[in-house]
Amino acid sequence: MEALEQLNYPGELSPLRDRMIAELEDVNTLCVTYRSRIYRYALLSLKDPDLAETVTQDCFLKAFKARNEFRGDCSIATWLTRIATNLIRDCTRSRKFQFWKTAGSTALEAGDIADRLRSPGISPEASLVVREELVKVWDAVDALPDKQRSVFVLRFVEEMELPEIAIAMGLHVGTIKSHLHRGLAAVRKAMEKKR
Amino acid sequence: MNSNHLSAWEQEEYVLDQRTPQMLRHLTECAECRAAVAQLEHGLGVYRKAAVQWSAESLATRPQQFITARRQPILSLRWAMAAVIPIVLVLIALLPFRASNPRPAQPVAQISDDARDDALLDQVDAQISAAVPSSMESLTHLVSTSNGTAAKGSKQIVQNN
Repeated sequence: MEALEQLNYPGELSPLRDRMIAELEDVNTLCVTYRSRIYRYALLSLKDPDLAETVTQDCFLKAFKARNEFRGDCSIATWLTRIATNLIRDCTRSRKFQFWKTAGSTALEAGDIADRLRSPGISPEASLVVREELVKVWDAVDALPDKQRSVFVLRFVEEMELPEIAIAMGLHVGTIKSHLHRGLAAVRKAMEKKR
Repeated sequence: MNSNHLSAWEQEEYVLDQRTPQMLRHLTECAECRAAVAQLEHGLGVYRKAAVQWSAESLATRPQQFITARRQPILSLRWAMAAVIPIVLVLIALLPFRASNPRPAQPVAQISDDARDDALLDQVDAQISAAVPSSMESLTHLVSTSNGTAAKGSKQIVQNN
């Protein structure tokens, strides 16, 4: 796989892997280091803090149990993201999640998020413009299909490289690029529409 | 006006860090494309900031309590098992040995107690079987001061009785 080849370090793989497994052994440090990142990804994908917390906990538990299966061919963050991606997918497929998604009781409105956004040092007018812009982008991202949204979040929130996203999602880099272009097109369209 | 603007695809490629020298050259020359790309990047930046802030606020309300809390009972259970298993094994190993062993001899202290009990019982027996109870024994020596015949006589009376 192209993505894997790019992240391999043939000469140093074994010591690097040993160091990574040692890091995985210390589960408390692992949680402290990656918890906010995994939680954020789960929260933006599921839009439900309780579910996101459950996914985050399960992610670290699974990673700890499967630490000896870690091959060291990607970073720990990418590996954890891959585990989280699988858990999120399982979650979104469940009937219970589908019901609550339809009911919309747990989802936060874009306006609520925008109201909470702190932008110190800018005028009220500029703040209003930022708020409107955020609502447009937020709604556009929310409307994306699940997989596209996950890819979008990993690229533009977690700032992961395309090969890393490919590993985390179990997709080819070309597919990731295609998802990102669709997501960006939707965002741009939303921003232009009401301008 | 520059009619050869960057396409939407090229602008997106720029945002995705897939930049070519031609793109970069065009952006230095074309303010319109520069503004379009900046607008898109700004929107993404605002989205990222809001997402990070929302997540951080949400996470701050949740205590970090897992993994360690789940591991503790398992660890303590292991320690308890490690302590109990050797004791159980030693007891099992000692059980047949204990069953086959004869009862040990009685200690010396117990023997002396028994002898003392026997002596007490003998004393009680002697008192019960006495002709005159010990409380009335003094009456048998009522006449005793000056003449021994009187005492003899009184003894005879008692014996005859």
